Amino acid sequence: MRLEHSFTVPVPVDAAWAVLLDLPRVAPCMPGATLTGVEDDTFTGTVKVKLGPIALTYQGKGRFVERDEAAHRVVIEASGRDTRSAGTAAATVTATLAAQDDGGTRADVVTDLTVTGRPAQFGRGMIADVGGKLIGQFADCLAETLTASPELDSAPAPAEAEPIDLLRVTGGAPAARRLAGYGLAALLAILAWLVLRRRRRR
Amino acid sequence: MIPAAVRYTRPSTVDDAVAALAGDEDAKVLAGGQSLIPLLRLRMAAPSVLVDLGGIAELRGVREDGDTLVIGAMTTHAAVLHDPLVARYAPLIGQATATVADRQVRHLGTFGGSLAHADPAGDLPAVAVALDATMEIAGTSGRRSVPATEFFVDYLTTVLQPGEVLVAVRVPKREGWGSHYEKFNRVAQAWALVGVAALVRRDNGTITEVRVGLTNMATTPVRARAVEDALAGAAAEPDAVAAAAAHAAEGTSPSDDLSASARYRTHLAKVLTERALRTALGGSYAP
Repeated sequence: MRLEHSFTVPVPVDAAWAVLLDLPRVAPCMPGATLTGVEDDTFTGTVKVKLGPIALTYQGKGRFVERDEAAHRVVIEASGRDTRSAGTAAATVTATLAAQDDGGTRADVVTDLTVTGRPAQFGRGMIADVGGKLIGQFADCLAETLTASPELDSAPAPAEAEPIDLLRVTGGAPAARRLAGYGLAALLAILAWLVLRRRRRR
Repeated sequence: MIPAAVRYTRPSTVDDAVAALAGDEDAKVLAGGQSLIPLLRLRMAAPSVLVDLGGIAELRGVREDGDTLVIGAMTTHAAVLHDPLVARYAPLIGQATATVADRQVRHLGTFGGSLAHADPAGDLPAVAVALDATMEIAGTSGRRSVPATEFFVDYLTTVLQPGEVLVAVRVPKREGWGSHYEKFNRVAQAWALVGVAALVRRDNGTITEVRVGLTNMATTPVRARAVEDALAGAAAEPDAVAAAAAHAAEGTSPSDDLSASARYRTHLAKVLTERALRTALGGSYAP
């Protein structure tokens, strides 16, 4: 499944680029994730997802596949597995920044998602909706983050992340930001959401 | 697949059930188990404890309370189907319940469980919304009532908080209304691609009141207000019904998935609304 989001921020492209590469600052935008390790271009983490009766914990890793300074494009691959349900989720995220005539920056985020295993058999496609919703929240938060403080400062202290709760997360960017997470490991959250949507086909 | 080990308790009163749930966000209420048990078996749910409401007599059955009908949350679909009070005062519930899954599921699945699970493709939430039902909820801080229109929040999400139990659903008695639940799915016993719950009251040739609830046209059940507004006071004639039904999808946001595109669902909403209204008008109404 392919999801596309775009937004513009009123900061120069170079400043936005610096923030985009700063995982500790970007990660908290993605609710539900906890970072368990970082090394060079790779990271590991977990994502807890809770929706109604459904509770999944994806453990996974991610890495920067590409960092194209000239094109202002970054590609991240992340994948995770929920050991209980034997489901997996994988995402390739491509984020591209482009300078705008007004001095601002346009960001295009394209996400390719693959969900497998029992959760994926769930069917009926709440998938697109929830995945879109989550990435939408991530993009909104990212836009705020890029706008608010282009200069690098210290990242929020990582803490145990709460499970994503659609109800509470919706419209709650501050809450989302509070959830400690790290880098795009958090994108696994999307996968997990997607997974939820797939269930049930009688 | 075998579910992961889970603690299990079967209280005999609502208070005990609430106490068993208190302070544990991972505790989960077990009603008829027709959605939860499959999730446990898929290991997509991992509650710390299951609080089975099956042993609480207070939660079962249908009774009258003045001008409302009180349906216990643990009343099975089968019991609802055969209940004379429901048949008399809220036949729409029976009409929709008859379309829920299959006979086996209906003998175990419950009215309240179906509502609390809040699946957007579930049939009963749209009915509850169309009927102006009120949810009665018990929790540690006592009981509260929530209108059906405020009960459903999102996919599989209601206002029910951890530690709260849906106790009963109050439905205003309606006599002299025509009603129908029109559901469309591609194979027998499947979830609704779209469903329409229609209630109509007429005075001779004029439609006086209309209530339409839609299943699976958003993440929560929605009222088709534009249809209701267009039809109130209109003549009970095919043209008026068709014109009103054309507004059925206004304000909705149906999902786009492997089963149906959003565009197809939009189309279905209009067609099914027209059919539901026609059937609800019934009798002397000649399509």
